[in-house]
Amino acid sequence: MKPATMEFLKQRFGEYYQKGFLTVPSALEQREWGFVFFDPSSEIRMRRHISFCDQQELTSYLRSMVPAHAYYSTAYYATPSAPTMNEKGWCGADLIFDIDADHIIRGPYDVMLERVREETIKLVAMLTDELGFAAHDLAVVFSGGRGYHIHVKDIAVRGWGSHERREVVDYVCGTGISPGVLLRGGAACHQGWGRRYTDAARDYLADILGMERADAIRKLTAVRGIGETSAEALLERRDMIIDEIGRDPYHALARNRVMRTIAASDEFRTILRNYAALADEPVTTDTRRLIRMPTSLHGGSGFRVTPLTTSELHDFDPLINAVTFGIRDVKIDMRSSLTIPLLGNTHALEKGISAVPEALAVFLCCRGLAEIAGVR
Amino acid sequence: MKVGLDHKVLVKYPFLKESQDLVRGHTESLDRFLSGNPGKSAVSRAKDRVENALSSKKQFDESDPGRLPPELEIASYAIARILISCTKERALIERFAQYEAERMFFYLQMEEPRIKRYVAQSAGTDPDASEVPVVKYIELAAQMRDDRWRLVNRDIVHGYVKVEAGEHDELLRECIRALIRQDLPLRVPAAICESLTPVTEQILTRFQERILEQFGEIDEGSFPPCIHALITAITAGTNLPHTGRFAITAFLHIIGMDTTTIVEIYSRAPDFDIEKTMYQVEHITGRGGTEYVPPSCATMRTYGLCTNRNKLCDTVSHPLTYYKIRKKRGKTPGESVTPPSH
Repeated sequence: MKPATMEFLKQRFGEYYQKGFLTVPSALEQREWGFVFFDPSSEIRMRRHISFCDQQELTSYLRSMVPAHAYYSTAYYATPSAPTMNEKGWCGADLIFDIDADHIIRGPYDVMLERVREETIKLVAMLTDELGFAAHDLAVVFSGGRGYHIHVKDIAVRGWGSHERREVVDYVCGTGISPGVLLRGGAACHQGWGRRYTDAARDYLADILGMERADAIRKLTAVRGIGETSAEALLERRDMIIDEIGRDPYHALARNRVMRTIAASDEFRTILRNYAALADEPVTTDTRRLIRMPTSLHGGSGFRVTPLTTSELHDFDPLINAVTFGIRDVKIDMRSSLTIPLLGNTHALEKGISAVPEALAVFLCCRGLAEIAGVR
Repeated sequence: MKVGLDHKVLVKYPFLKESQDLVRGHTESLDRFLSGNPGKSAVSRAKDRVENALSSKKQFDESDPGRLPPELEIASYAIARILISCTKERALIERFAQYEAERMFFYLQMEEPRIKRYVAQSAGTDPDASEVPVVKYIELAAQMRDDRWRLVNRDIVHGYVKVEAGEHDELLRECIRALIRQDLPLRVPAAICESLTPVTEQILTRFQERILEQFGEIDEGSFPPCIHALITAITAGTNLPHTGRFAITAFLHIIGMDTTTIVEIYSRAPDFDIEKTMYQVEHITGRGGTEYVPPSCATMRTYGLCTNRNKLCDTVSHPLTYYKIRKKRGKTPGESVTPPSH
């Protein structure tokens, strides 16, 4: 990044921190903070083990230092500024979920963002409707990058260690399903993973149903452990099995050898994963993680780390709603040609110098796709 | 509900408030108590409790839950908690909680229903409930290893997990264990720990012996399949994810392999970089102040590193347990679990 570009970004970020509405996490004085700065000359990538005693102190830090990235600990500490974890004195941590496109889908930015938004809606539904967390204890936040964070602030889970947190993240991801146990009651198949599992099995069978017989046999025998005879038998009994899934899913899926074998195949797992909410496991099980400060700016995009109510999430478009900068013209030098939607317009940009809205200039410079052209 | 509990009952369940009240009525200040004769016999009994917890075979005496007068017997439970707190050994604390919970559970199963119910309620479970709130359930189930306890395999409706009548006993045992574990290690004044040093030293020696008995010399043939697969992958030049490197390093470190030997294993990889490897290995093995524990089977599964599961895997929840069992059985010829691998 050229010095002029860095200066441009620091000025824009500084302007935001002067005027922007900033929220602070609960129990601010118990949080550890970490910051990454624009200036590449600083030896340490992240400056951490910082703490603030009140909002005033935090705000003036942000205004004077203008960090590119601002994070705080999901954990509460007795001495958050202590240099080692042992000395900090862990007192608990919020339960965090991270839905990041990196783990889910590759593709154009807007497509990725849309897919992770859907994933986040699923996750919120699982946490509230199924696991019974109160909606007002959930804070949903657009990360400013490629995903969403959910902070669960329920005091009852604060003391949880990694094991307890893993139970929840495995639940939302559908990790560790054992059909023989899951389906055993039968009643379980009207909700939660019982229903999702039986739905996935129906999807799989419906897919086969729509195929030419020879293709179906080829597909089935490609599964390790299924021979031609088993495949033929399954095709014969397909309708019966679909019917039986509704009546006695345990028998149809957990007692049937062929269906059990299919369930272990990669393809079935992929179908099942579509029903999961793919949160990033290590983020949830780590009780000492730093997370982006909601209402701060993401230095890799210039977007606002945007707190959302669960209903706002339904019509949230990061490429409009997380943009905080204006539309005055700024001259930039594009590294290569690129088409990008922002603020409701699709911008077709040629390689080289052009004038674009300030918000787009910030985004492109943050992502390293352009430099500021000409010195002002 | 008020249940009259006589001293014979209280002795069996020292975590009960009523039991602790009984001791409180009989003891003066802790340091004075410890230096007197009754205190000395309670300390000696406390040491037995901890050593029993360390021993591999668990035997409980049906008829005689304690040899000392009730208040001293209960005091010995409290002192045992102090002793293990002074040692600051996490593994020892876990063993103690496990042992005491099993012991109490052993007596509970022979108890009159009204007493069993009372103890269960005091421990925080409702023996008649057909469902448990999710948060409470997770706190209990997270420590239980069978697949059927995993939240993902449970029937859950609006924040409640259905439980079957036959599952209450197991939940109760875990509840008691969690309760015993809860405040450990206690913050014991340094002077008290100091006065108990001769006893804690003996306990620690015993503890070290136990660890040596379990792990002893490194036996690559007893490694669980997941660790085997990781080592094979390194040798084959596969680029392991960080989680894999972490799992293998932490595992080898805990079973007693020194840093140099661990680095040697990595040196089998074609893209071996000694400096980077040294740094990573030293970080994981605790040079940075934190000593990491190798991941459990559940974690290995979430990382996608649980491979080639065999029968023995189904009975354990941690790769280290697999190693311990395999190694032990390996010593006795003819008791091999799986056919020797080639």
